[in-house]
Amino acid sequence: MVTAKNLTKKFGDIHAISDVSFAVEPGEFLFLTGPSGSGKTTLLRLILRELLPDSGSLVVNSHDLVKLKKKELPQIRREIGIVFQDFKLLPDRNIWENIAVPLEVRHLPKSQVDQAVKIALELVELSDKPTLFPAQLSGGELQRIALARAIAGKPKLLLADEPTGNLDPKTAKLIFKLLKDVHSELKTTVIVATHNAELVNLYSQRVISLNKGKLIKDSPAGKYE
Amino acid sequence: MSSHFEIALNRVRRSPYQAAAAISIMTMSLFLGCIFFLIAAGSQVILKFFETRPQINAFFKSDYVPSSSQVESLKSRLEATGKVGTVIYVSKEDALVVYKELNRSDPLLMEAVTAQMLPSSVEVSAKDPNNLKELAALLRTEEGVDDVRFAEDIIASLTKWTSSVRVVGGFLVGSHILITFFIIVLIIGIKVANRRDEITLMQLVGATPGYIAAPFVWEGIFYGLSGAVMAWGITYLILLYSMGFLVSFLAGIPILPPPIVFMLELLLGEIALGSLVGGLGGLLAVRRYLKA
Repeated sequence: MVTAKNLTKKFGDIHAISDVSFAVEPGEFLFLTGPSGSGKTTLLRLILRELLPDSGSLVVNSHDLVKLKKKELPQIRREIGIVFQDFKLLPDRNIWENIAVPLEVRHLPKSQVDQAVKIALELVELSDKPTLFPAQLSGGELQRIALARAIAGKPKLLLADEPTGNLDPKTAKLIFKLLKDVHSELKTTVIVATHNAELVNLYSQRVISLNKGKLIKDSPAGKYE
Repeated sequence: MSSHFEIALNRVRRSPYQAAAAISIMTMSLFLGCIFFLIAAGSQVILKFFETRPQINAFFKSDYVPSSSQVESLKSRLEATGKVGTVIYVSKEDALVVYKELNRSDPLLMEAVTAQMLPSSVEVSAKDPNNLKELAALLRTEEGVDDVRFAEDIIASLTKWTSSVRVVGGFLVGSHILITFFIIVLIIGIKVANRRDEITLMQLVGATPGYIAAPFVWEGIFYGLSGAVMAWGITYLILLYSMGFLVSFLAGIPILPPPIVFMLELLLGEIALGSLVGGLGGLLAVRRYLKA
């Protein structure tokens, strides 16, 4: 699903990602760990093709992101769901409309959009709040809505960038459980960038550890280091 | 398309002052456009009216009456030049009818004049006003012709006036349209900047640039459309209000009231121009951001 070879990304003189190579199989669930500034977010932004690497290659779902033409980019991104630490929900749209955003950009018929939003809301257990606006929800609920938006389009790959960074431990646990549910129910490949050691250790999944932009450890059923 | 238009309308509703500013400036520019177009079209019709009137009057000597074969021969020679629109022979009797018609309010003048006192003449209109001089010179050489008069100055000054209206109007309307375009870019640009996060999110979830730009373009079109309808309505109201004055001012020149089809065509033209300016303004505003 994702193959990175000798991936390097610099911001000025700083190596955000330095000579990183790894592969993620379809249907895999993995944690991307490391301290702040280790390159987790940069790596996710590279996978989402928000950034281009300075060198190396990156193939996502059989698309070479380095050689990708600009007009092909929207189609690739529709195959990827993303959950942000700061949710990035649109404040002037209600919950239903927020979840519908990635579906509407695909020009799907309204009935199909409604059906997908309904299923996503049920999965995150927020079916009773479709008409509320983001300002009326708690942090945990907002992150569940962000997750619902990311999975509504049944993406092949789900990226979560510090999805529990702003949440209390109990809500963080719930979000991790939902991510696991999505992985097992939809067979989606899931990459979660986090520095929540407790939850990483709880799930015993593959862990890729980064430090100062370098891949320092890639262990199946690993622990947070 | 309909959902993009709905989004655009929602955005207009949520920022009524910006929308009012955009529609006002659009209305003002298109109103100017309407007025100058009507003046240009009206002066063109007036020019055409004068062009199709007899432009050269060749008067025969008062004691000379050309025979019908002479008149036909003269007509043939004039028509052979290919520069003549119409040639009408006005006999002494015809001239008296015209004279009486012109002086019917003055019985004294009508009684004092007989047909024999008036000269017969030919009235000639040229296909192109530039040929008036040449035709007048030709008529002067004809047998029995005493005097030739032609409306060269009137046509020349009308032509000059019409082209001046076009140039001045074109410049004024053009510069206003340009200013309007930049104001639309500015207003929609502010909205684009306010929705930076939304646009970024749209890009990250796979929206095409066209999908992101469409509501902004529709918003510009909405401003153009509203401005066009308002400008046209104001112009039409002013025209209807001034109709009495204009009809008496333009006595004898049949251009008023303007045909409804013409006014509807003007409305369509205004809508097309307004939508183009607004739509392009919206596109430019959002494209600058999408490129950045």
